[in-house]
Amino acid sequence: MTITTGAPPPTHNTPVALARGFLTGGVVGASLAALVVGGIIESVPLFVTGLVLPAVYGLLFFLAGVPRRVREAALVPCTALARVESVEAVGGEATSDVAVRFDLTVAPDDAPAYRVAFTQDINLADLPDYRPGGVVVVQYPPDRPWRVRIVKRPTPQWEERAAGAQLDSAPGPAMVSETPEGCAVGFVTLLALLLAAAGVVLLFRADLFDEGTSGLPPSSVQPSVSSSSSSSSSSTTVVSSASGTVALGPNQSFLDKDALRRAVRTLTKGTDTRAALTVVVQERLLSIVYAPTGSNAPTFDPESLPYDRFPALVKEARSSLGVGSPQTWQVTVERLTGSLTIRVGVTGSDGAASLEADGDGKVVRRTPAH
Amino acid sequence: MGLQGYLVLWCGVFGTVALIGYTRSLAGMTKAQRAVRVMGRIEQVREPRHGSSGMDGIPVVVSFQDPSSGAEFTVTNDRDHGEMITAAWTGRQIGVRYPRGRPHAYRFVSDLTAGRRGLGWPNFAVFLIYVGLVVFAAIDWAWPWALIGFGGPWTVNSVWYLPQSVRAVSRRIDALTAQPPVQARVIAVLTDTDTDSEGGTYTSHTPVIAFTTHEGTPVTAYCTDDLPDPANAYGRNITIHYTPDDPAVFTPDIAAEHRSRPLDLVLGIVLLLLGVAAVVVGAVLL
Repeated sequence: MTITTGAPPPTHNTPVALARGFLTGGVVGASLAALVVGGIIESVPLFVTGLVLPAVYGLLFFLAGVPRRVREAALVPCTALARVESVEAVGGEATSDVAVRFDLTVAPDDAPAYRVAFTQDINLADLPDYRPGGVVVVQYPPDRPWRVRIVKRPTPQWEERAAGAQLDSAPGPAMVSETPEGCAVGFVTLLALLLAAAGVVLLFRADLFDEGTSGLPPSSVQPSVSSSSSSSSSSTTVVSSASGTVALGPNQSFLDKDALRRAVRTLTKGTDTRAALTVVVQERLLSIVYAPTGSNAPTFDPESLPYDRFPALVKEARSSLGVGSPQTWQVTVERLTGSLTIRVGVTGSDGAASLEADGDGKVVRRTPAH
Repeated sequence: MGLQGYLVLWCGVFGTVALIGYTRSLAGMTKAQRAVRVMGRIEQVREPRHGSSGMDGIPVVVSFQDPSSGAEFTVTNDRDHGEMITAAWTGRQIGVRYPRGRPHAYRFVSDLTAGRRGLGWPNFAVFLIYVGLVVFAAIDWAWPWALIGFGGPWTVNSVWYLPQSVRAVSRRIDALTAQPPVQARVIAVLTDTDTDSEGGTYTSHTPVIAFTTHEGTPVTAYCTDDLPDPANAYGRNITIHYTPDDPAVFTPDIAAEHRSRPLDLVLGIVLLLLGVAAVVVGAVLL
């Protein structure tokens, strides 16, 4: 008997395996980071991306493997006799099926014999059938002779052949069906995971730092925050109330995307109460007046306002109410009359005008300039 | 995105899946439609080894012919080749299904006609669309719509299947008692031990009986129901009733069959009443 001349099992450190490891690590790292960062900065799209990305990657991975699986499935498996060289139970003692490590000499009819080692689950009651020196029937894909499986129930024809067969041992070394995972693949996967996670964090660092530095001194980029409590106010009649003000620096506007919501969140974080009496917004100034403790005045949660609608409401007020060249605008939110009212006032060369919207930001009344 | 947006997305995704599935079925392109379905014949029945696994089915040798090439194939069964064969006798017809051109990928099936059109996934997608609509109605309109939405189809289903179930039970008992019983012997008890996620082990015992029909056909079958103390049943002689048309349908306890008849009826009626009650309560609460 001679050693097989068939192709050896592929190793896992091929460029394809490395690329796959890099991609997998990247997707895992990016999706995990997206989930965490999305949760911290409360970004729904980012959070959903963290969920969808691995699903899409898994789908693409599956689709990419379809041609290979179809090709492999179309191959008729080879059946051959094999001599059991050694048998060793390696796990699964608690179940009726135990994992058994086999070392076989496979003797194909039309090819040289070869040694192969693999693990297969065998029922305890059937274990005596696989003694060293015995002959069994095996199957393997013709293009992967190392993926051998013992046929538990051979056909009568193969049973007869196995009963009368005498096979010699082939010299080693034995092929192994499970090649050890290459270290390089693991390293590349880990590297890609860390890089992708870091990339996501860096990409959203501005939002993350916003969340974490609300108490830091104002800068030219971030909104300048000044909270004034009633105790330090000159008015003595509002001792238990509090107000908050955010003034933006030059070249900024509360009509910028998310600027308003971010500023409100900064203010409400620094106070115990979220029951606001009035919210006033101008181009670069935000003021929130909170209700006094124990007050029965109608209040509202300043974080619940439809800030995304504010730019559209201001734009509509400036363009459709006939105030001429718009000069200034102001949004006032209160619910003194019972229902939440968002009033947008604009002044221009042709006079003043206003429009009112409800709590959802839908326009309910327009008062054009006369 | 509001609730309506999510509903539109939900219905859009699964509607697309359903549409693609139905279109593929109409065009005859589904995997099930492209599969070859032939009837095989059990040529040899082997006695299972006492104490071995019951997951592989009764060991049989089956022959079938590939209609396209005319080639004859002789194969065996185990857990990797389709449905478990739990009753076998020489000459029994058994369904074999495999992808076109790949008879080596054969699978045994008890019903050759089941799933012929490959509409399982598209039908499931339509079901998910319906569930989405009911959930939307329950959240956006009023929660009693959930009772009506799920109770309605439940009731219709029960009304449809209850009479059929009653007739099937009657036919089964009539067939089992149509001729005298025969003696059977427990020739093996198959044992499977497995562990659960918490490390506990559980063991199942499957007695295998052998009996000969009045026509002289030796039958080997799993006897999973109505046999007391199955773990210690090895070697026990029992009396069984079987249906003349299909010896795979048998019972070692005909009295249990009679007892289960009213129980099945009561269970069916209770399920029907549950559905009706859900619809009525939902309608009243609206």
